[in-house]
Amino acid sequence: MKIKLFSRKTNSDMPFTFGAPAMLWQVLFFYFPLLIIVVSSFLNISDLGEIQGLTFQKIATFLSPTFMKVIFSSMLLGISTSIFCLLIGYPLAYFMAIRGKKYKNLLLFLLIIPFWTNFLLHVYAWFFVLEKEGLVNTILMHLGFIQEPIHFLNSLFSIMIMMVYYYLPFMVLPIYSSLERFDYKLIEASLDLGATWTQTFRRVMLPLTLGGIRAGFFLVYIPSFGEFAIPELMGGDKYMFVGSVVSHYILGDQTGSLGAAFTVVACVCLLLSACGLYYLLNKIILPKRRNEKRI
Amino acid sequence: MKSITLKKLSKSVNEGLIIPGLSLNIPAGKFFALLGPSGCGKTTLLRLIAGLEKADQGQIFLDDEDITHLPIHRRPINVVFQNYALFPHLNVFDNVAYSLKLNKTPKEEIEQRVFKILEAFHLENHVYKYTSQLSGGQQQRVALARAIVNEPEVLLLDEPLAALDFKLREKMLIELIELQDKLKTTFIYVTHDQFEALTVADQMAIMNTRGEIEQIGTPKEIYEFPISSFVAKFVGTTNILQGKLRNVDSDPEIEIDDLGMFKISIPQKKEWMKEGCKLLISMRPEKIFISKKEVPNFSNMLRGSVQSIVYHGRSTQYNVLLKNGIKLQVFEQNEEHFPQQVIDYDNEVFLYWQKENVVLLEK
Repeated sequence: MKIKLFSRKTNSDMPFTFGAPAMLWQVLFFYFPLLIIVVSSFLNISDLGEIQGLTFQKIATFLSPTFMKVIFSSMLLGISTSIFCLLIGYPLAYFMAIRGKKYKNLLLFLLIIPFWTNFLLHVYAWFFVLEKEGLVNTILMHLGFIQEPIHFLNSLFSIMIMMVYYYLPFMVLPIYSSLERFDYKLIEASLDLGATWTQTFRRVMLPLTLGGIRAGFFLVYIPSFGEFAIPELMGGDKYMFVGSVVSHYILGDQTGSLGAAFTVVACVCLLLSACGLYYLLNKIILPKRRNEKRI
Repeated sequence: MKSITLKKLSKSVNEGLIIPGLSLNIPAGKFFALLGPSGCGKTTLLRLIAGLEKADQGQIFLDDEDITHLPIHRRPINVVFQNYALFPHLNVFDNVAYSLKLNKTPKEEIEQRVFKILEAFHLENHVYKYTSQLSGGQQQRVALARAIVNEPEVLLLDEPLAALDFKLREKMLIELIELQDKLKTTFIYVTHDQFEALTVADQMAIMNTRGEIEQIGTPKEIYEFPISSFVAKFVGTTNILQGKLRNVDSDPEIEIDDLGMFKISIPQKKEWMKEGCKLLISMRPEKIFISKKEVPNFSNMLRGSVQSIVYHGRSTQYNVLLKNGIKLQVFEQNEEHFPQQVIDYDNEVFLYWQKENVVLLEK
């Protein structure tokens, strides 16, 4: 097939021309390195760095229960982060898109402001909030709810707080944009036909904003599956997730290709789990369709 | 089939008074049209009845039941929205079945009722299509089917045909009339189109720009006997002339400046019809006879010259300039292929009308 880079006749070839630099970039700096990772995870490399044929040994190492447990806990981390973000993010997006009216843009701006400060600053700010003499403990002790300060840091709780805090905008933005395009008349029509607010939400709003929910869900799930910094900083060294294992091997002495192999295994698991979640989301949110063949 | 009664209903939006203390009775089982110019508040009134808006003051009754504070989903009143508001993620069947599925109707019954109604609306070949795959007229039918499948007491139609082309609109109007005849549900049809209102309504109300009801009556009463110049001008086309009332008690006439005296008839004398009072009269263009020759047996006659001619097909409109500078519109039926007299531009013509065809307007 001949690909025209410039054509005077039709406009349909033009996107390719415009997209070429981006595609080149993607191939050079993404697909090519990915290929290196995949290939090197199957190569038998000696201590001196010589390639001595193919091996499945490295991949097999990581299929053991120990490592599968790590991958599984990363999935749980990703799923729970996504679910909490969804539960908090949907009402927020609804408020911004439908009740926000002329303050919409201001609200969007406020949502994005935290991204202007450095990530580490966020983490240290949360240290001050959650530590033993921190804000939360001080308030709770003053109000008399607790006698002893609670140990928040270095726990799953503190990891979760930071994850949801950091990833929330990724959930809100796509849902916001799908809600903004949502026709409010449909809510009125549903209520008018006798649906309660809950039924209207379940039967009209959720299915019609599925695109935004799905986008938000995976924008949160995929990076939080591989999240390295937050569990490391907020969880001490108590919890092992995919990110920490990968960094351990990649940064370790002579273990780079092991890191690559683990990455491949984790990626396959991520892909499979994402497919499963995609199916589940559709199943839960979309109404049952009547099958035409049943006439 | 229930009646709707509004008592001193008022509603403001952004501090602008839209509905100013309106009282209205819409009889049960009738096709009622609410006609008014754009922005007069008729859609707001409809939304108040449906429960989509909350009234500031006043009450809404469904028969004897006060529904002013009943939430929208518990009112047995459905709306056919202007742009249909069909659910894009559901196919035709599920759109129509929406209200039935909410209250746990048995599956077989849902299926039976939905298919029955889809057949009645000639949609049986489109059951599993999505609404975006349907034509405007089909979408309109789905919206109607969806709104009547759960048998509401009152059906509100908010300019439902505005998006359809003229031929289709005429066809749908007839279908709507037949549907209402069959169901006997109270229909409230909101429109700014006088043709639609006159066609469908058993009874109609004319709303003015201040959100008040000017006149209520059958289409014939409204068209033939408008009580105000607003109604006369808004419903159909008319000629409005100003004059003074003379000889009220014997042989009533109206004196128009620079034109003279013209005979009128007063079938029912009203309080405000006093000797010498200023008033407006309305003369429908089709009730004036135009001719180049003199004709006997008419109560009134005027001379003028033809300024412009607009050919409408079934009728021709002549704009005739009178000697006091006022223009009158005259419609003449095109009854023959080859009319005996051809009226042309700048022709001097005689205008004739009977005194019974003049309507005296109160305001």
